[in-house]
Amino acid sequence: MKQHSPIVSLRNVGIYYKRNRGIFGEPFWALKDVSFDLYQGETLGVIGRNGVGKSTLLRLLAGIIKPNQGTYINRGFQASLLSLQLGFTYYLTGRENAFLSGMLMGLHKRDIQARMDNIIEFSGLRKFIDQPIATYSSGMIARLGFSVAFQVNPDILLIDEILSVGDAEFSQKSAQAMQERMRSNKTVVFVSHNAVLIHQLCHRAVWIEEGKSMAEGETMAVLNEYHRFLGLI
Amino acid sequence: MINPTQLNTLSRYIELIFYKTYADLRAEAERTYLGFLWWIFEPIMYMFVYYIFFAIWLGHKTDDFVPFLLVGLTIWQWLKSCLSHGSETILGGHALMQHVHLPKVIFPIILILTDSVKFLFIFSLLLIFLWGYGFEIGMPYLALPILLLVQLLFTTALTFFLAAIIPFIPDLRFVVENILLAIFFVSGIIIKAEMVPVEYRAYYYLNPIVNLVEDYRNILMYNAWPNWSTLFLIAIFSIIGIRLCVRLISHFEYIYPKVMQ
Repeated sequence: MKQHSPIVSLRNVGIYYKRNRGIFGEPFWALKDVSFDLYQGETLGVIGRNGVGKSTLLRLLAGIIKPNQGTYINRGFQASLLSLQLGFTYYLTGRENAFLSGMLMGLHKRDIQARMDNIIEFSGLRKFIDQPIATYSSGMIARLGFSVAFQVNPDILLIDEILSVGDAEFSQKSAQAMQERMRSNKTVVFVSHNAVLIHQLCHRAVWIEEGKSMAEGETMAVLNEYHRFLGLI
Repeated sequence: MINPTQLNTLSRYIELIFYKTYADLRAEAERTYLGFLWWIFEPIMYMFVYYIFFAIWLGHKTDDFVPFLLVGLTIWQWLKSCLSHGSETILGGHALMQHVHLPKVIFPIILILTDSVKFLFIFSLLLIFLWGYGFEIGMPYLALPILLLVQLLFTTALTFFLAAIIPFIPDLRFVVENILLAIFFVSGIIIKAEMVPVEYRAYYYLNPIVNLVEDYRNILMYNAWPNWSTLFLIAIFSIIGIRLCVRLISHFEYIYPKVMQ
């Protein structure tokens, strides 16, 4: 997979927020110096402890924010975050929420229409799809949320921790669907602090600490360095 | 020029704007038992209260004060709801914009559309009231769509501006309501231009809202054409304002998601 040139490259990327509101106050650097490449078809794991800038990194990859320093190159690939229940509105029906959520995530209305049967089928909400989600249980809402988000199939899929949702049965089903997609020739960036999952799912990994990329490469090697840093080995 | 990918993205955003407008209206209607009927009943109750107070209690039965007032209030209500709701739209979209990239100008557009749909209900009722009161439909009614369009442009320019700056200075939210109240009193909603001292009247007419409201009254009550030159000026300035505000919003496109709530 690595013989191709990378589809996304980061070189010494830094991103800051302002400590106070808006445009005022001291900058706070969430990312200081991050460099890595993402290749077509791979699943890249991003590992690091909480609060080291992983979510900021995903926002950058999703095109939501821009770097304040360094170079960030996306060679024309559409990347989006797996967002569950995005834009869900309490008083609308399951079907309407599927349209709204799908459209917010970048699908055309006709695309969602075409996939509506899949959404209904996967969520198992056949009888309830035309009822307001206000009448749903939280498990049902979670199932609908996942089923819609799963229909969005960007060039690069960005996942923040969540792989599965809902009750035991649906959790297994959603995790399985997700892992199948990751193992297929899909380009995925999977962010987690769970080394076991990264080890299971990712071809390569990047370790981020305090806003800096400390290591990039083969998953096992990166995890070893990470664990050595944590004092686990 | 626009390439096919951009065109595709643009059509997607337009679809989203309309669907979200529909969804917001529907969600609002679903919240109550009577649903969208409230968009009719509420203005009826509102007009009724004014009618009782001014026409019956204060005795303004014959001097057309009640229709004069209701035209002003209806027009004002549209402007005011867009400005006060619209000013918070980009700020309110903060959670959503953490998950997906959307042009932020979409947020105020959706609000202006939903509030304008509700306004159309109120405006239709105003027309019915005026016809019932005895005013007739004349040729100047042909100018009504243009007048509504100019007001929409004017409202859009101001709403975009407020929506653009409020995420950085959210404290302004508390000021906006009171500024709007102050503007209400100097916009000819409840007083006639003749009540303004002659030496100040030229300044008074610098307020675009004064001119818009007067144009509505000319068309709806006095069977007269609007003042085309001021209307044209308001339209031009509004279009320039909209363009500048759209640039302002896109300048901050990637900053808004980083502004802490």
